[in-house]
Amino acid sequence: MRFILRRLGFYLIAFWVSITLNFLLPRFMPGDPVSRMFARTQDRMQPEQIEALRKLLGVDDRPIWEQYVGYLHNMVTGQMGVSISRFPTPVTEVIASQVGWTLLLGGTALVIAAVVGNLLGILAAWRRGGAIDSALPPLLIFIGSFPYFWLAMGALYLFGVTLGWFPIRHAFSDTIEPGFSWEFMSDVGMHLVLPALTIVLVSVGGWMLGMRNTMIATNAEDYITMAEAKGLRPGRIMFRYAARNAMLPSVTSFGMCLGFVVGGALLTEVVFAYPGVGYQLLNAVQGLDYPLMQGLFLTITAAVLLANFLVDILYVRLDPRVRAN
Amino acid sequence: MTQARFLRSARIAAAGLAIGALALTGCSANAGNTGSAKADASAKSALLTIPREDMGTFVRNFNPFAPTVTPMTQQAIYESLLVYNPANGDTTPWLASEWTAAEDGKSVTFTLREGVKWSDGQPLVPADVVTTFALQKKIKGGYDYLDTVTAEGTNQVKFSFKTAWSPALFDLGQLSILPDHVWSKIADPEKDPNEKPVGTGPYTEVDTFQAQSFVLKKNPNYWQPEKQKIAGIKMLAFAGNDGANLAAANGDVDWAPQYMPNIEKTFISKDPDHRKYWFPPTGSMINWQLNTTKAPFNDTDVRKALSMAVDREQVTKIGMSGYTKPADCTGLSGNYETWKNKEVQDNCEWTKLNVDEANKLLDKAGYAKGADGKRTLKDGKPFEFKISVGAASSDWLSVADVIAQNLAEVGVTAKVDSPDWAAVVAGYETGDFDSGIVWSANDPSPYKYFAGMMGTSTVKPVGEKAFENYHRFGDPKAEALLTEFAAAADEDKQHDIADKLQEEYSAVAPAIPLFAGPEWGAYNDTRFTGWPTEENPYATLSVRAPTTVLVLTSLEPRA
Repeated sequence: MRFILRRLGFYLIAFWVSITLNFLLPRFMPGDPVSRMFARTQDRMQPEQIEALRKLLGVDDRPIWEQYVGYLHNMVTGQMGVSISRFPTPVTEVIASQVGWTLLLGGTALVIAAVVGNLLGILAAWRRGGAIDSALPPLLIFIGSFPYFWLAMGALYLFGVTLGWFPIRHAFSDTIEPGFSWEFMSDVGMHLVLPALTIVLVSVGGWMLGMRNTMIATNAEDYITMAEAKGLRPGRIMFRYAARNAMLPSVTSFGMCLGFVVGGALLTEVVFAYPGVGYQLLNAVQGLDYPLMQGLFLTITAAVLLANFLVDILYVRLDPRVRAN
Repeated sequence: MTQARFLRSARIAAAGLAIGALALTGCSANAGNTGSAKADASAKSALLTIPREDMGTFVRNFNPFAPTVTPMTQQAIYESLLVYNPANGDTTPWLASEWTAAEDGKSVTFTLREGVKWSDGQPLVPADVVTTFALQKKIKGGYDYLDTVTAEGTNQVKFSFKTAWSPALFDLGQLSILPDHVWSKIADPEKDPNEKPVGTGPYTEVDTFQAQSFVLKKNPNYWQPEKQKIAGIKMLAFAGNDGANLAAANGDVDWAPQYMPNIEKTFISKDPDHRKYWFPPTGSMINWQLNTTKAPFNDTDVRKALSMAVDREQVTKIGMSGYTKPADCTGLSGNYETWKNKEVQDNCEWTKLNVDEANKLLDKAGYAKGADGKRTLKDGKPFEFKISVGAASSDWLSVADVIAQNLAEVGVTAKVDSPDWAAVVAGYETGDFDSGIVWSANDPSPYKYFAGMMGTSTVKPVGEKAFENYHRFGDPKAEALLTEFAAAADEDKQHDIADKLQEEYSAVAPAIPLFAGPEWGAYNDTRFTGWPTEENPYATLSVRAPTTVLVLTSLEPRA
């Protein structure tokens, strides 16, 4: 319990630091949202309208510490304000309307990559020098070291455009009414295949290699030899004795990744025109949309910290040594 | 900052690869059937499909006062009193059937078209126009010259100005008109998302609305029902040009208004019979603006010499992929074709490549070449400066690179500086820059353009934020002409003054005009016909211009 409380305190401080950075960083960037909007629309906006727009969007001219106090207050009370680039839509609404697709895509890809990667890692380490161990790691690392968007564009071109097996854009067909129907779900599934597949392909190698390496170390432990000497079934030794102990680093990185899923897979979303938050974040940064940026970063920070906290708790369950401390 | 930079570089890299991949699709011969648009069995019910490349997702917000409004709001839902077409210079009466300017130029009276109804069945009345302008002035500002807007009788609206103001006609005429009976009841018109818009346009009924696409169906009460030949409009959201270009190359969209690199190969070649593009030079004039508050840019001879050193053929060919034409010394883009002074245009000297003359002029102005072939300024420092362009604009970056190379030949060193656009524009606004590639005002009347180029009233001192005339050049003679222009109610007189303005522009060279921005546009007529073309320029191929409604009311399904 003391452990958990201490961790909780640490997370609160980390949270404060990150929301403060979140506040400061965008304000170090030159310009303000209205001049950015003006620069982007170029000849389409009238100069006389700029002052009015500034007032309309509520561009803050208060001293920075006053803005900071107001910002902290809003963060604590959960008021994220109105998006500037999507004015007058509230930030919460902008995020809520898109974060679902991001979570679906990122979550599916992460779970598949982690499960498959870890299993392959376990098998590879268990049969060291076997077919899986010698062929897969170099192949997966080879694939994984391709620039991500190259792989995505390649898959899109080959499977989407040339072969026509999978749709080439969006999260579902425009012609289908969203709802809990089999037709809609399978359509979403089809649209998910290519983007998720490319993320899995790129990330699975890392999971496998990480697992394999810790597993090899664990395999050399005395308790494994002991278990073998006792004549336990190999499968039981592999999963219950070796893999369980080798899993801890994987659980940590799974937690980290889980948090970052919220930020969106920017390049995937851009290449496959997937309606997630990634492109919105890029837009917010480019348009100096402080409220939306803060909202998105806050969501990401909170998700990363929350996921880590959950992992910490899970650790207590998985690793008795943590409890002893 | 680092996050932003990382994201940006990642995006640029992705864009580069996308172009590569698109080129690949262009090369392969077996692209085959995907090329021809998937023809619907029932062409009558087909939706005109249009991509929107800079919105990853749509937010349901049909409020025309919002800075980023849902696409098509001002094109298909709301209409304006008149429509000006820059491609041929015509003005089409739209919600107004006619208008008359007062003799003294201090007012304009519009007569509303008979029989126009809102999509909810209510008739269009003068109060609609009055309310629209009241809201516009209150929420977005501008229209400072406007004194009163009053309803006259049952079908007329009179706009009175504080002083004679001739550019007002198009300024007033092109604003989207909103229904008074709806907007006067909206409590907070600046923040209302206006989810169910009531408009006079041809396609007003929001059918399905998703973050990634939405459909607009026919207005049941449209005033020209015979022109609603397409069943509806479908907009698709794309996070960047690449996805939109792929959709166009794949034949999934009918209209492709976004920039496509190497369009002949990536788009046209797959189905040359049905796929066409047309880039009329009706965008704004793109200038190389020199900060005239700094020496040596305050010297007209230097500006002209630098202009003569620039090879505009090379600039348009390399920088703009040959999609546009070099500018001339009237400083006017194709948008102002009817305003051009032929005499000035035929005697352009300083906008033609002439390295010898440029060298002579610089020598004469007192910037002699040193032993190393490089020129020095009068204070003994090397003749060296920066050209600022936003990093995201790869086309303009190569324009700046070409200019820098050209300048080396006359012994002037220019360095291309490309931070983020926001940083570049912040420098323009406060006057803290050497030179940059800058857009300019693009209106039906050249008044605002010349005011922003050389009017003294638009010049702000360095340090104070300016939103036009970044180069801070003011010419009292031009200002006098501009005042005269604003007061001239008669169009022939306006043309006379515009001729003089061009003479003055050519004499003082306030900025260095490079080329007219092309209006991108391509289409695929497999499903719909009646597109504007170079031979029939009844509109441009833009989907965000006031002329878009002309295209929407001209297209028809292929029989």
